[in-house]
Amino acid sequence: MNRNGNARKRPPPPQAQSAPPAKQQATTPTAAGDEEFVDEDVFLEETLIAEDEQNLLLQDHQLFASRLAKWTRPPLSQSYVSQSQSIIFQQLEIDYIIGDSHKELLPQRSGPAAIIRIFGVTREGHSVCCNVHGFEPYFYISCPPGMGPDDISRFHQILEGRMREANRNSKVPKFVQRVELVKKRSIMYYQKESSYPFLKIVVALPTMVSGCRGILDKGIHIDGLGTKSFMTYESNVLFALRFMIDCNVVGGNWIEVPAGKYRKTSKSLSYCQLEFDCLYSEVISHAPEGEFSKMAPFRILSFDIECAGRKGHFPEPNHDPVIQVANLVTLQGQDQPFVRNVMTLNTCAPIVGVDVISFDTEKEVLLAWRDFVREVDPDIIIGYNICKFDLPYLIERAQTLGIAEFPILGRIRNSRVRVKDTTFSSRQLGTRESKEVTVEGRVQFDLLQAMQRDYKLTSYSLNSVSAHFLSEQKEDVHHSIISDLQNGNAETRRRLAVYCLKDAYLPQRLLDKLMYMYNYIEMARVTGVPVSFLLSRGQSIKVLSQLLRKAKQKNLVLPNVKQAGSEQGSYEGATVLEARAGFYEKPIATLDFASLYPSIMMAYNLCYCTLVTPEDVRKLNLPPECVTKTPSGDTFVKSNLQKGILPEILEELLAARKRAKADLKEAKDPFEKAVLDGRQLALKISANSVYGFTGATIGQLPCLEISSSVTSYGRQMIEHTKKLVEDKFTIIGGYEHNAEVIYGDTDSVMVQFGVPTVEEAMKLGREAAEYISGTFIKPIKLEFEKVYYPYLLISKKRYAGLFWTNPEKFDKMDTKGIETVRRDNCLLVKNLVTECLQKILIERDVPGAVQFVKNTISDLLMNRMDLSLLVITKGLTKTGDDYEVKTAHVQLADRMRKRDPATAPNVGDRVPYVIIKATKGAKAYERSEDPIYVLENNIPIDPQYYLENQISKVSTNFPVQPLLRIFEPILKNASKELLHGSHTRSISISTPSTGGIMKFAKKQLSCIGCKAVLRNSERTLCSNCKGREAELYCKTVSQDIFASNVLPATTVAVEEAVDDMETEWIKIAQ
Amino acid sequence: MEAMEVDSQKTLQRKQSTYNSLDEAFFIHNEYYKGQQYSQIYYVRLRMMRTLLHSLVPLWKPHVPVCTILELEGGKECIIVGTLYKHMKLKPCILDEYSKERSAVPLVKPHNFMHPDDHLVLEDESGRVKLSGTVLLPSTYVTGVVVALLGKETDAGDFLVQDVLEAGLPPQIQLPLKSREDKYVVFVSGLSVGSSTSNPLQFQLLVDHITGYLGDEKEQSIAAEIVHLVIAGDSVEIPRNLLNGQNLASRDQSRLFEPVKELDIFLTQIAAGVSLDIMPGSNDPANFSLPQQPLNRCLFPGSATYNTFRSCTNPHCFELDNVRFLGTSGQNIDDLEKYSDADDELDFMERTLKWRHLAPTAPNTLGCYPFTDRDPFLIDNCPHVYFVGNQKKYGTRLLKGSEGQLVRLISIPKFSETGVAVVLNMRNLECHTLSFGTELSL
Repeated sequence: MNRNGNARKRPPPPQAQSAPPAKQQATTPTAAGDEEFVDEDVFLEETLIAEDEQNLLLQDHQLFASRLAKWTRPPLSQSYVSQSQSIIFQQLEIDYIIGDSHKELLPQRSGPAAIIRIFGVTREGHSVCCNVHGFEPYFYISCPPGMGPDDISRFHQILEGRMREANRNSKVPKFVQRVELVKKRSIMYYQKESSYPFLKIVVALPTMVSGCRGILDKGIHIDGLGTKSFMTYESNVLFALRFMIDCNVVGGNWIEVPAGKYRKTSKSLSYCQLEFDCLYSEVISHAPEGEFSKMAPFRILSFDIECAGRKGHFPEPNHDPVIQVANLVTLQGQDQPFVRNVMTLNTCAPIVGVDVISFDTEKEVLLAWRDFVREVDPDIIIGYNICKFDLPYLIERAQTLGIAEFPILGRIRNSRVRVKDTTFSSRQLGTRESKEVTVEGRVQFDLLQAMQRDYKLTSYSLNSVSAHFLSEQKEDVHHSIISDLQNGNAETRRRLAVYCLKDAYLPQRLLDKLMYMYNYIEMARVTGVPVSFLLSRGQSIKVLSQLLRKAKQKNLVLPNVKQAGSEQGSYEGATVLEARAGFYEKPIATLDFASLYPSIMMAYNLCYCTLVTPEDVRKLNLPPECVTKTPSGDTFVKSNLQKGILPEILEELLAARKRAKADLKEAKDPFEKAVLDGRQLALKISANSVYGFTGATIGQLPCLEISSSVTSYGRQMIEHTKKLVEDKFTIIGGYEHNAEVIYGDTDSVMVQFGVPTVEEAMKLGREAAEYISGTFIKPIKLEFEKVYYPYLLISKKRYAGLFWTNPEKFDKMDTKGIETVRRDNCLLVKNLVTECLQKILIERDVPGAVQFVKNTISDLLMNRMDLSLLVITKGLTKTGDDYEVKTAHVQLADRMRKRDPATAPNVGDRVPYVIIKATKGAKAYERSEDPIYVLENNIPIDPQYYLENQISKVSTNFPVQPLLRIFEPILKNASKELLHGSHTRSISISTPSTGGIMKFAKKQLSCIGCKAVLRNSERTLCSNCKGREAELYCKTVSQDIFASNVLPATTVAVEEAVDDMETEWIKIAQ
Repeated sequence: MEAMEVDSQKTLQRKQSTYNSLDEAFFIHNEYYKGQQYSQIYYVRLRMMRTLLHSLVPLWKPHVPVCTILELEGGKECIIVGTLYKHMKLKPCILDEYSKERSAVPLVKPHNFMHPDDHLVLEDESGRVKLSGTVLLPSTYVTGVVVALLGKETDAGDFLVQDVLEAGLPPQIQLPLKSREDKYVVFVSGLSVGSSTSNPLQFQLLVDHITGYLGDEKEQSIAAEIVHLVIAGDSVEIPRNLLNGQNLASRDQSRLFEPVKELDIFLTQIAAGVSLDIMPGSNDPANFSLPQQPLNRCLFPGSATYNTFRSCTNPHCFELDNVRFLGTSGQNIDDLEKYSDADDELDFMERTLKWRHLAPTAPNTLGCYPFTDRDPFLIDNCPHVYFVGNQKKYGTRLLKGSEGQLVRLISIPKFSETGVAVVLNMRNLECHTLSFGTELSL
């Protein structure tokens, strides 16, 4: 299915969601009374309406059942059945439920307890559900001075009392299990002592952590100490993550539970082949190395659904049936799916290599799919926009049809799939609304979300994404004809099925091609978070997970800082040296700092735990040789007093990356290579996000002292480099030319050494990098990588140049900040900009580029432009009434809806339009028109709009004209030269074939030679021009030939023009 | 002729011949672009050629059934008739211009788009099938050729070709035997008047030779036997550098016209004595797509006044004393050269005759008018002389058909580059060249 861009589907409008919540309420965990708990993955055991297991299977489809049997997982070997074998499996998902504590494993406990569930797959491909018992939620508070054991037990009782007060209805026997005195230290600020007393508060259920924190935050009265509020530590760590940290489990690693240490569950609650209970202390977590770096044979289900929408409406689950579901199941590491099938409503002609399974009713289709999912038992469910469309649609559709037994798609028996709305927002990606569908035990991986996160594309439709990455496109079946195909015969439904299959196949191809499985699992392993967090959460959780792990080793605890919003203010960002704009025809060497920010943090030992508060600076009286004062004025101790843990994390990450890169060179096996490459990439990204974590003011643990110190060092280094280069590489210093720093970015400096060849520039670049690196504290290092030649520097962060890494041949054309791919620009601008850069940089033909621009502008004004180059597209996100400001595309969509509701763009579609000529003073939004309509009715476009608003656009959100800024460094008076020359003086506008005014127009012939109005006896030429036939003929023909050379697409049009000429000329000649 | 009277006693009388134009099929009279699709041409072509091939199949493989592509059954030997489509990896696609980023270096050389991975597909109204096997070489064939294939469908869904049947040379009218006297026809192409390579003196020598102003009596008597001149395209070269897409200054306008004016002066001299046919070529001021319509007579105010001056279409077909001539200005062969492979131009020419199609690559890669009811490029009658202009070098060959057809193939070089014109003797279809050099070698 197509999801975005020219999407045929859009998220159902809000009113459609009003129905589900009522149903959902029944299944929402009841214990989670507090709103704050929504964040946590709480599942309660639910007993479904008494239902016979047998009834769930479709009995009248014996054939189908036998097919299902073929696809089940391999049977368990004897050693598994007899429980004589250790169970080693790769875990994919960890969550927890609240159940009764295990009587045999934990005889001393009673009442409800949190049970961790780990889902995974063994090497043989068996599915595993491991219930881990005995892990308790806890957090810390700092122990007030002078608290003795008696005080602690009193404190315990008071807290227990307050908790009971807050949760009166709860039947939990004991809220606060234990309060222990431990020796820990806060991560914040340099402290002289190695440890301080802390209280570890262990509560019964994870959901109580935040309640307890609330009580302590507000303040609690303790006899003898008075009312006191406590700062909590590590009270905001998700329970599953807490477990992973404490057991050294990282996302996607291998877990072993030795034989004899586990017990098969008495009553199996899941559909997994191996389901067992064990104690958390028995879980062995293997580091992802050697044999344990491999991947288990996961089953990946890629699916897509088709719905028969009504004309002019996007499919809505309460009206429109699901008519087809296509499925592909692939084993991780294999390149061909082992199951290919499509379930259709009504008959469908056979498709080679695909199981076509037809049903008579929609209910059967849905139930067949549920049975299929259960039997095939996929570990990972992928698709395109499944999270926002396919899965919620199926579930809501089943609700509409009243199929209560449908949404049991997870691995837990009798547990329904729930849908809830979520919003995900991060500074990097903006806010995105989505739906969260919890399918227990199965990881969902929506390729659309991954694409939107990882790639900047002009369109995220499956079609264009596939075209981009796979160079493969699909047939686009418009949603308005899906119903027609469905209502046709078996052949038309076959066409639909093929289309549906392709839509299921492409996500799998994308997953393979982009190595998503490897890269994401490696990212999870490096950062230690579950795979599902990677898609649904931002960067900070990854850093937090690493920080917590490291802190645990060091006996440090993280304070739970109240999220104060952006109150803490901002700090000065990275600096850029003044750009000396110009067109440089000598090689420009680029000196880069290798991972600058991580290196700074390591070099200067910047960390939470090395930061000295201004008070302490005075109080502690630290010797000056032991502290660093950063350029931003903050003080940090040096590593001889206290080694920072952020530098340590970074060192490990970078060392691991170095190792991964070295291994990558040696690796032979392509799968191993894929894993290692994914790992080194993950390590690089993680290292770079540490700095961001400290600067995120609304993050988990912001520390602006660190981030502003980092940037201030960065600035200093750039300045330092500039100074050194310009001091050393001078004629006085024995070099041929004076070097000149023309520009410096966050972590790079561009130097013009003045030498004429790339080779010499490279030599000097290397020399400079080595010389300057020597002046920095390790591991800060300046590297020389590339030369730009020629180099067009427009302004800061905007440049273009040819990129050389070896002196023989340039690698590519590199541009930055010159938007050639802005989506709302028409193709004309993009072509113009790329062509000009091509001409200027590669062909070195500046006059040619100028001429090209002039010709294009002239073509535009002379109406010789292909309409497709002028089409502007904008996404329609809301309907017209919801927009406050009238915009061109919304107005057009409204107008088109009035013309024909069936083909009009819907919310979520991208609306293509062109700007047409209209009455004087009409607003731009009134002049937008559908390109097809324009073509059919021969409506004149408005070249002036394109010239002013597209080519030389000056607007608030787009500060510099894309074209002019290229020419500004090269050409004096660029704007005057390009946009106002003689080439703009002749204008041609096509005559509209519609419109009232044309009824009154009288057509008159004018002389081709001199434009004088012709008299009756004259044809084509006036009497004064007679005799110039040959000359004029030549001119017209040759000019059109020229035009056809510029724009091949217009050849046909030109032909037509010549043909018109021909007929005309035949008349005069004969 | 007056000049001759001065020089010699007896007046040489130029021989005459009867001229009959057969260009009718190449004229575009009432057709115009109204959004037709190109599929119609292929449909017509397939229909015509299939009837023909079906009639040949019983002689070729008497007992093998003929079926459509949809009726193919795995493993069963049969004959299918359809249009070839050559899938080419390097073939440029206009859509790329819109969808792809420009790469810094062009990927293909612009003169040949062949690649070892190219493969052929056969198409008829019912479907298409990929062809395999070594009998049918992708390098020889191009898109648009209609053939009959013997073979069977393999398990992979390909059609394994075992044998190929092309239509072969079309039937030919008997070469008239009665004319037993020497009559010459001169072919010239690529005059490129106005280009840097063109040499006015060289052209003047040619004109003088044809009109009989050159040489002694013997030579003049040969010149008097020249009955016809064919100018096969690219007669002028318009100074492109004047054009930049903007309006021309009136001074430049007349400079643009200079070459045509010059050509007219030359042609007037010839037309006064010999009948001549001028065909448009790719550089001439005419329409671009085939069939190119005659150059407008208003371009030649001087020569157009003679009835010996004929502006013709490209392709051009005519009869001279019942000898049938067919030729083009070279676009069809140039295009074949881009998309297929052969030893020389004559091979390409031979192929087009055997495929019975002048320009199989039209409309796929060669510009062509979207005919809806006919395919004017089908060759129904075998010409006696088949010529192609604007080729790299002179070449000629006598081609014999299976039914006794006899065709003289001529590839005419560019005059402006080689100074060579080709002379054909209609008596025996023998060919020789005329070279004009203007280098002074003392």
